[in-house]
Amino acid sequence: MAVIETRRVVKRYRTGGETLEALKGIDFAVEPGEFVSIMGPSGSGKTTLLNLLGLLDDPSEGEVLLDGEDVTGLTDREQTAARKRTIGFVFQNFYLIPTLTAKENVEVPALFDHDSTVERRSVDLLERMGLGERLDHKPDELSGGQKQRVAIARSLINEPRVLLADEPTGNLDRDTGRKILEEFVDITERDVAVIAVTHDELVNDYVDRTVRLVDGLMGEDAPATGRTPDPTPSPDADVPGPTDDGLTGSDRP
Amino acid sequence: MGWLRRRFPALLMARRNIGRTKVRSVLAALGIVIGVIAIASLGMFGLTLRYQLSQNLGDIGNQVMVMPADSEGAPDTLSERDLRQIESVAGSGATVAPAVQRFTTVSYGRGVSETRAVMGIDQPSKLFEARDGSIPDPYRSGALIGPNLADQRDLGPGDTIAVNGSTVRVVAVLSPSQGFGFTDPSNQIVLPTRSFDTRGYDTITVTETDSTAANATAMAIRAQLNERRERVTVRDFSSVADQIGQSFQALNLFLIGIGSISLLVAGVSILNVMLMSTVERRQEIGVLRAVGFQKLDVLKIMLSEAVLLGIIGGLVGAGFSIVAGLVLNHFVVGDATLVLRPGNFLYIGLAFAFGVGTSLLSGLYPAWKAANERPVEALRS
Repeated sequence: MAVIETRRVVKRYRTGGETLEALKGIDFAVEPGEFVSIMGPSGSGKTTLLNLLGLLDDPSEGEVLLDGEDVTGLTDREQTAARKRTIGFVFQNFYLIPTLTAKENVEVPALFDHDSTVERRSVDLLERMGLGERLDHKPDELSGGQKQRVAIARSLINEPRVLLADEPTGNLDRDTGRKILEEFVDITERDVAVIAVTHDELVNDYVDRTVRLVDGLMGEDAPATGRTPDPTPSPDADVPGPTDDGLTGSDRP
Repeated sequence: MGWLRRRFPALLMARRNIGRTKVRSVLAALGIVIGVIAIASLGMFGLTLRYQLSQNLGDIGNQVMVMPADSEGAPDTLSERDLRQIESVAGSGATVAPAVQRFTTVSYGRGVSETRAVMGIDQPSKLFEARDGSIPDPYRSGALIGPNLADQRDLGPGDTIAVNGSTVRVVAVLSPSQGFGFTDPSNQIVLPTRSFDTRGYDTITVTETDSTAANATAMAIRAQLNERRERVTVRDFSSVADQIGQSFQALNLFLIGIGSISLLVAGVSILNVMLMSTVERRQEIGVLRAVGFQKLDVLKIMLSEAVLLGIIGGLVGAGFSIVAGLVLNHFVVGDATLVLRPGNFLYIGLAFAFGVGTSLLSGLYPAWKAANERPVEALRS
């Protein structure tokens, strides 16, 4: 059974008087342990999809299923709890907390758990990422690749089922990028699904499958195949998705 | 520290964040320091003034004075019977001193004379103490004179004055008043009652242990002696004592009110710092929400930060307040250790609590704002 799934998901944004349809009916499912990349040009709705998968946002229509359970329409508290239980995040800009050491950063998601094993797990994870020597370094004392590894360790601390990565190699050089992607492959071997949203063709050397997103539609389920029910066309259906409203801001070159 | 961290994980983040913008945090805490010092030291100042005044006033208002009433048909002196009745209603610790008062000519030698009041009393030690010489007991002869009069006329024990033509030897100079009562010794001339050819008394002064007892005695005397008709006028200081107490209460509240303004300013500065901090850390807070922090968790972190600033500022402020209190007491009362009076710690505690409370209140809005930011919006870069 798919660990995470979307069914006919539509996401509309209202900007000024206009309604922009960022996603126009997406059917998408990922199995446990699968490594999937979502590719597409700027404004194709990649980040919007990732936000929906990560329960950071609610779809306008359709369902998001986590372990077969519909999670749309949950309260903020329930969504946050589900996110903590099931989903790990890795960001292009790492988003480590500058005042905390590597070890503390990894412990952050479990900070309020009063769990005595957190510290040991965090050290284990960092050692697995080859950062055993860097436990007490602050983020500004780490290289980009090291920071991303700390971020990956952080995303794994609560033993998620799915890891969502937004341009994970976007701020890294090619060699470092490869190493990070190898880490992802390692992670999928432990039955954690990895979904990476990216521009970087390099990612495709490592993934099990790639889906393409164009103008809010999934490339392999293009409207031409007729499999996706055509969403009600909006007046600006031919206009590329939102580009300047910041929603897809992480799709930078 | 490790225990604290496990118990209040939000403190870890809060402490590091305060350390991140040191100058800004120090300035924000400084506001609280100043506010706490202002409230605590103004409160202590009021208390010290009150203490000093009550020292000067002595056992303020513990005397009751009974005089013949002014009303028509009332006797113009107090009788032995009145005296016995008053003695019976006065408290066990009280002293009852009957006295007579006459206007007569007094000459101090070298042709200097004047017409003035002279007091007759049998047991002057009930009302007065001697500065020079001693008050004879029993008191049968000789004059006691007030300290101001003695200094003015250059008199001392052994000198003589003439009262109503007869020469009297001065046996003692009285001590200045310790508090305030109905009979101020400073310009008195006191003679034994037998020097006056009179029956009855003009005044009976009851000295109680404190003003509450004095008030009760005054009421009892009124009830007993004025039962059928208005025979005596009874005066006590209870209302004066109450008024003085109330004035000080008002003064203290006013001073603390002034101090509170500085805390208000401090609160605004913390609000500002926290708001800036939430704007700067928007993405960071977004990440926290994304990795599974509930709104309440974010709220806790931000509030701990504000409260931590308040506690640091409050502690430093309390420390400085004690120093300020030492200085204050040293100069006003002359005894720096008086800062250790419990009332002072009440004010320091109050100021500290106000400081922390202000920080908490100022932190509420920024914390609420941070907690309610949607992670999707916050994570847009």
